[in-house]
Formats: sequence, structure tokens, C-alpha cells
Amino acid sequence: MQKFGRHSILVRSAAVLIASFLVAGAVSIAATIVVTGQRQHRAAVEHLGQLLDTVESTVSVACFVKDAKLADEVAQGLLKNKEVLSVAIRADGVDLARSTLPGRLPGEAAGNTQLTRDVRSPFANGKTIGRIQLTANAEVIRHTIRDEVRFVILQIAGQLALVALTVVAVMLVFIVRPIKAMSDGLHRMDATKGERLAVPQRHANSEIGRLVLDINTLAGNLVDALSQERTLRQEKEVDERKYHSIFENAETGIFVVAPDGILTSWNPAFALLMHIPPYEAYRGNLNIRQLPWENASRITELTLHCWLNNVGLADDLTVRLRDGYWRWLHVVLTPVGENQLQGVVHDVTEHKEAEALAKQLAVTDKLTGVTNRLGLEEKLQRLLSDPLIAQTGGFTLIMLDLDNFKRINEGFGLPIGDVILKDATARLSNCIKASDFIARLAGDRFVLTLESLTGSDDVDHIAERLMQSIRKPFYVDGSPVAIHASLGIVVSPKDGADVPDLLRNLELALDRAKAQGGNGYVFFDNTLAKTAEKRQHLENDLRRAMREHEFQLYFQPIIDLAGNRLAGAEALIRWPHPERGMVPPDAFIPLAEEIGLIDEIGLWTLEAACAKLAQWQREGIDRYISVNVSARQIPDGLPAVILSEIIEHHGIDPARLALEITEGVLMVDVNKALTWLDAVRARGFRIFLDDFGTGYSSLSYLKRFPIDSLKIDKSFVHDMSEDSSDRALIEAVIAMARSLGMKVIAEGVETAEQLSLLRGMNCHYGQGYLFSKAVPSEQFEAAASRINELLGHTPGAA
Amino acid sequence: MLPRPLLLLLAALLLSPLAQADPGLVLVVNARSGVDRLTLDDAVNIFMGRYRQLPSGLAALPIDQPENQPEKARFYRLLVHKDLAEINAYWARLIFSGKTSPPHQAKSSAEILDLLARQPGAIAYLERSQVDSRFRIVLELER
Repeated sequence: MQKFGRHSILVRSAAVLIASFLVAGAVSIAATIVVTGQRQHRAAVEHLGQLLDTVESTVSVACFVKDAKLADEVAQGLLKNKEVLSVAIRADGVDLARSTLPGRLPGEAAGNTQLTRDVRSPFANGKTIGRIQLTANAEVIRHTIRDEVRFVILQIAGQLALVALTVVAVMLVFIVRPIKAMSDGLHRMDATKGERLAVPQRHANSEIGRLVLDINTLAGNLVDALSQERTLRQEKEVDERKYHSIFENAETGIFVVAPDGILTSWNPAFALLMHIPPYEAYRGNLNIRQLPWENASRITELTLHCWLNNVGLADDLTVRLRDGYWRWLHVVLTPVGENQLQGVVHDVTEHKEAEALAKQLAVTDKLTGVTNRLGLEEKLQRLLSDPLIAQTGGFTLIMLDLDNFKRINEGFGLPIGDVILKDATARLSNCIKASDFIARLAGDRFVLTLESLTGSDDVDHIAERLMQSIRKPFYVDGSPVAIHASLGIVVSPKDGADVPDLLRNLELALDRAKAQGGNGYVFFDNTLAKTAEKRQHLENDLRRAMREHEFQLYFQPIIDLAGNRLAGAEALIRWPHPERGMVPPDAFIPLAEEIGLIDEIGLWTLEAACAKLAQWQREGIDRYISVNVSARQIPDGLPAVILSEIIEHHGIDPARLALEITEGVLMVDVNKALTWLDAVRARGFRIFLDDFGTGYSSLSYLKRFPIDSLKIDKSFVHDMSEDSSDRALIEAVIAMARSLGMKVIAEGVETAEQLSLLRGMNCHYGQGYLFSKAVPSEQFEAAASRINELLGHTPGAA
Repeated sequence: MLPRPLLLLLAALLLSPLAQADPGLVLVVNARSGVDRLTLDDAVNIFMGRYRQLPSGLAALPIDQPENQPEKARFYRLLVHKDLAEINAYWARLIFSGKTSPPHQAKSSAEILDLLARQPGAIAYLERSQVDSRFRIVLELER
């Protein structure tokens, strides 16, 4: 290594220093030349002036008398001064003297400094009488300047040498040596072993010291960064080994594909899935499109999308393998950098098949194998959105329900019911074209879809055929069972724009067919919808009435005909509708029963009746009240326990409360009805059988059921005056009841004649307009007074 | 302040013929010289050696009074405001070169008058009282 090369700081600094000194010296010399020249010039002028002063009087005399000799003497005297080059004296336009230094040409004087002075008369008048001109000797001035410059140069050179030496010494000591020491230290230092540069002596707080600290910090950071880098590299190696192990041993197919579609790697599992050789054994390039995809453009599309958008994608694709079977593969593509995509491939064939099966099952009715409700809805959706179907006049739907099928299930058991349903399904399927469609919604309800039907004649024909097929007997254990069906029919698009509409209207038509007694078919029309709508309104109103306490309880007096007195009253519900006025019970009770509101209404009635009873009891009035109980309330809507609780709550005697039931109660479930009746009677309540004579009026029932009183329907009472058979019937009923230990209440007593006839038959009680119509609670006492008058009592004596 | 009679006396004295008779230096030339008047400059040039010619073309012959005559010192005082030492020093410088020379130094007043009378170019300074018809006053130096 050169000790101080051309680029060493020392050499460079010295060079710069010398250069700057040379420049400064040159400037200084130039200045010296200029300044000295000017000064010398001024000095020369001054000196010449002084010389002139000394010779002034002599020259003036010489000029006065034009004495050339004297003038020449003066000139020669002046030339003895070396600063003077030449002298010229003139008087009155005549040269008196003109002298130049010997050996010098007078012409030389041109350009040199000249001093000219007028010569005045030596006498008082001071007139100008001549002129003297001195020319300075420039040579002398130049000499002086040269001397001065030489001195300046010497001075600068001396300073330069001194300063340069000082600078070199200082730089050596303060900069070059410490840097050299640092450089040597860095060459020896091993930063990874924790070695660091020492701060040169006396440089703890200098720039060199700070540089050493900075270098040490940098070394520390570099060592840290290197160690982190090493750790990362090791981790990466571990990761790569892990990945490689997964890659080799995974059951999942893994491959890497380059942007040109060439597979750059695949694992053994992928080779197995695709029936290709292992990657290591494969010769040549394999493009991803060359794999046995069913739809190769799809995989190209996927990979392109993945590359272009740099996002992961997944899709299920099928491959057709060499041995001729299909596999479903789930392919996940992920960008892994450097334009490479990694693909992960699973065989999802079983999953796909299971899924397809589940989907099939979801729309299939398990029992019959035909489509279920879900499948039907899908099918209808397809039909509705098919423009071709709309052009050819839509389609027809038939909803078919087996009448009273519930009884078959109850009577023969569910397995038999299922056999019949399967049989029915087969029969219905035979009635329709192969292109038509049958679905079982639930239970015994089917829907058939008939396409390409136009006239309603065709539909009528098919409906008849369907009913006919069901009407043929089904055989259960060799015995024939007769079943018939009801049908509702809608025609798309006129009978409904969407699936829910169509199905609802189908049900309305079917309900109407059922309501007409079954075994028939009904086409949907808008009146059905309107009826349904009205019913819906009524239902809403009814619920609101219950919620808003719109119902009122009226009481119709019941008269003890033998005792000739007011014995009690029948509680009758009334509904003053805010818009429609008084709604009769016939108009809303059946609906309340249907929608299950009857239990609530029943309880409310009972509460109100008991409140009235409690009032009478407080007033010391001995009367009973009978309350109508719907067949629907028995047994769960009105348990005996609840009855007792209500009675106890009001603190009244159960014997004052009579429950009016109809024969319908006894018809539904005999055993349940009996149990309820026994429980109620055991708690002291009385039971009235209402509307006797209008239903089955089975005498055997009367015998079996524990009933306290019979209420003879008003239709018999109404006709008894004219119709002797009715009269005989009433008489027979009264006689029979009496023999069974029951009381008889005649309803609808309207005339005095009827009253007298009934009395003649020893009928126990009477009820009707003759005595009073049903009145609100607060008007009851007024009605009671009128009845007492009618019965011949004096008011208040009852 | 003097009393009025004394002032009147002094005035009478100053205006009297006695006062006109006081000595006064004049520059005179030979009446035949052809010169009537000379300026003071002319006088200086002639006496200090610049020219030696009268305006009429005659060579001028300036004549100094004898050294001991007070008129000489008076004359140079009036002419160039210098004393005799200075005048002598002036001439000392010129004598060496020989180009010119000082005025002729007369040995007596008689010699002056004689030269004036004889030499047509002679020019000299005299007391007014010494002037007669042979001479012509060309410049009055004192009044």
C-alpha cells in the first residue's frame, strides 16, 4: 500500500493549500505591482516637484534674461538626479535648454511621467515667461517595483512553507493517523465475535470519536441483521422440508403450474388421481390442458382468472380416466408467487354422488316414490317461468284428497293406510300422460300437473277418470273398502300468478268440493277466493273482538212451569260488531270452533256467567244459569278442574251452574265425553242436553249419559199447536225423561197456548219470547218483573 | 483731535511750493533718444538685463547710481521691490554666464549726467531736481 498516494487526504490538502497560496501570491504580487507602481509614480512626481522647487528661482532668472547657458546649467544639475530622464526649458517659445541623460534617447521620454511647470518672472509682476518640463526616469520606478515584488514573493513563499508544514503536521496527527489506526483496526476486527473499534486517544469527543461509535453501531446492526437472516433461512429450510414431506406423502393431489400451463411439479397423489406417471419419471412437458378434464377450457379459464386477478379460486371439475370412469375433483388454485399457481386436488366423487342422492331424496316422497311438496313447488316454478308453456295456454293443476281417509287410518291402522295410499298413487299415475306429473303433498293429498290441456272438457274428463279410479274398491285383507275423493282444480295462468297463489286456490277449490260433501270436483273461481277473504276478515275481527272485549253476555229467563216462577237463565253470547252491528252466534261460533278460539270464548262466557251468579247470590236471589259448551271444548278446552276453580273464585254453588251440551259431544268420542261428564257432575255441576230432537237423539245415548235435563228444540214447540205428532213427540219425550229422572225444558215458547199445552204435559221448564227474549245483564231484573206480572205475581213478591 | 487752527496750518504746509520741491526719482533719457515715455515694465526689462534696447531701437545703456548713493537703493525698491543685496545676488548668477551684464555703475552723479548727455541710448534715474533740458523724463517713479 502506498503510504501517501495521490488520493491521500494529506497530499490533496497540501495540493489545495499550495494552489490557494499560489493564487493568493499571484493576487498579492499583482496588487503589489499596481500599488507600488502608483506609489512610485506619485513619489516620482513629488520628487520632480521638489527638484523643480529648488531650481525655480534660477530658472526664472534664466528665462527672464533668456540665458541658455544658465538654463543648461540648471538642466545639467537636474539630470544629476537619477529619477530625471530629460529636462526641457523654454522661454517665449524658444528652447533655452533641452537635455537628456547620456545614453538615452530623448524619444524615450514619451509615455513616461512628465512634470511641466510654468516659469514666472522673478520680479513682482509675476508674468509667465517660460516653461520647464521634467520627464521621470521610468527605469528607476521599474527597478523599485521589481525590488518590492521580489520581497513580496519571498515573504509569501516563506509563509507558504510554514503554513504547509503546519497543516501537514496537524493533519497527520489529528486526522490521518487516527483514520489509519481505525482502518487497521477494521481490517483486524471480527464483528461477529463482538469485537469493536477502539476510540483513538484524545478523540473521545471529536468527529473521529463519533465516527468510531457510528461504525460500531453499524457493525452491531449488521451483525444483528445477519443473525436474523440466518435464523429466517434456517426456519425457511425447516418449512421447506415440512412442505416437501407433506407434498410427497399427502393423499391430496398437489401440483404447481407455470403461466404457460406447463406443470412444473406434482406429487405422487396427483399422479395417482390423474393416472399419470410420477413427476420424476415424466419425460417432456406436461400441459395442464393435456390432463383428462371433461371440460379443459374450464381449467384454462380458472388458471387464467387466478393469474390475472392474483386470487385463489376453487371449483369442482370432472375427469374421464383411461379405464372409462368419471371422477369429480375439487380443485383449489392459489397463487404462490413468481407467477406460479399451486393446485390442490381432492377426489370428491362420493361426496358429489351423495349430494345428488340427497337432492333427489329431498324432492321425493318416501312412501310413494313420487315427488313431494318441495319437488312440486320446484316443478311449478319451472312451468311458470317456461315461456313455451305460457304460449301454449298454460297448465292445469288438480288437487285430490281422499274423503274421510282419517277414518281408514284410525280404523285399520297406519300400515294399511300406507298400502292404500301407494295403491291410490299407482291408480292416479295411470290416469295421466307420461309427460304429466304427480306429487303427494302430505297424508292423502295429491297434486297432478296436466300440461297441454286446453278446454275444460278435457279436464272434466280427467277429473271423472281420477274419481272413478279411486272409487274402485281397495282391498284390505281381502275385504273391499270404498273410498272416494274430492278434487279442486285450477288453471294457470288465470287462477294464480305464482306458486303460493296456485296452491292456495287449489286448496280453496278442494275445500269447497269437500264442503259440498266430497266425491266431486270443483273448479276454482274468484267467488271462492272472495269467500275465503271474507272468512279471513271475520277471523281477524273475531280475534280482535276477543282481545278488545267486544263480546257481551245476554240472559234469557227460564221459567219453572210447575212452580210458576223464574228459575234461572240461559247465558247467550252476543257480538256487537263495530261496523256490522250485532253478529249472531251462528255466524261466528263455527269459525271460532274451527280456528280454536272457542276455548277462550267459552272461558270468557263462563266467567261472565259466574259473575252474574255471584251477584244474584249476594242479592239473595235463588236462580241458576246454564252455559253453552261447544263439542270442541270437550274435554281439553274446559277441564273439570278449571270449572271448579272458577266456581270457587266466585264463591258460588256448582249446582247453580248448568252446562248445555249438544248431541254432537256424544258423537265424537264416546269414552272421552263420558269421562268428562262424570268428572263434571261429580263436582256438582248439572248437565243439560241442548237441541234435543234435531240430531240422532238416540235413546240409548240418553240412557248411557248422565244428563240432568233435556232441552226440547224450539222447532217442536213451534209446531205443537197445529201438529199433533209433534205434540205426541213432546209428550213422549217428557214421559221418557221423567222415567230416566231427567227434567225437560221447552225452548221457543212463544204463545200462551203453547204454555198451557206444555203445562198440561207436566213439562218442567219453559223458555221463550212469551216470557222474554235474551236481555243484557242490566235489563234482566226488568224482564224478571214483567215475567212475574205475566205469571200473576205481584211485583217484588217472587 | 487737533484744534481747528492747527489743521488749517497743516493743510497749508502740504499745499505749499516747498512740498513740490521735495526730491523725487525719475527715469530720464537723452532728449535725442527718440523716446518719450517708458512703462515700468520697460524699465525693469532694461535695468534687469532682459532687453538692452530702447523702444526707439537704440541700444539702451542703463546707468546705476554709485553704490553709496541712497538713490540706488531707493530706485530698486521702487522698481522691483528688492534691496540691493538681492539685486547683487541676481546679477551674480548672470554674470557667470556672460549673456548679459548689470547696468553701468557710475562713479559719481556727474558721470551719470555726462553719460546721459553724451550717449543717446543712456537711461538713468535722477532726482527731479537734477533734471535739465538735455534730458527727458520718461517715467516718474515717485509722485
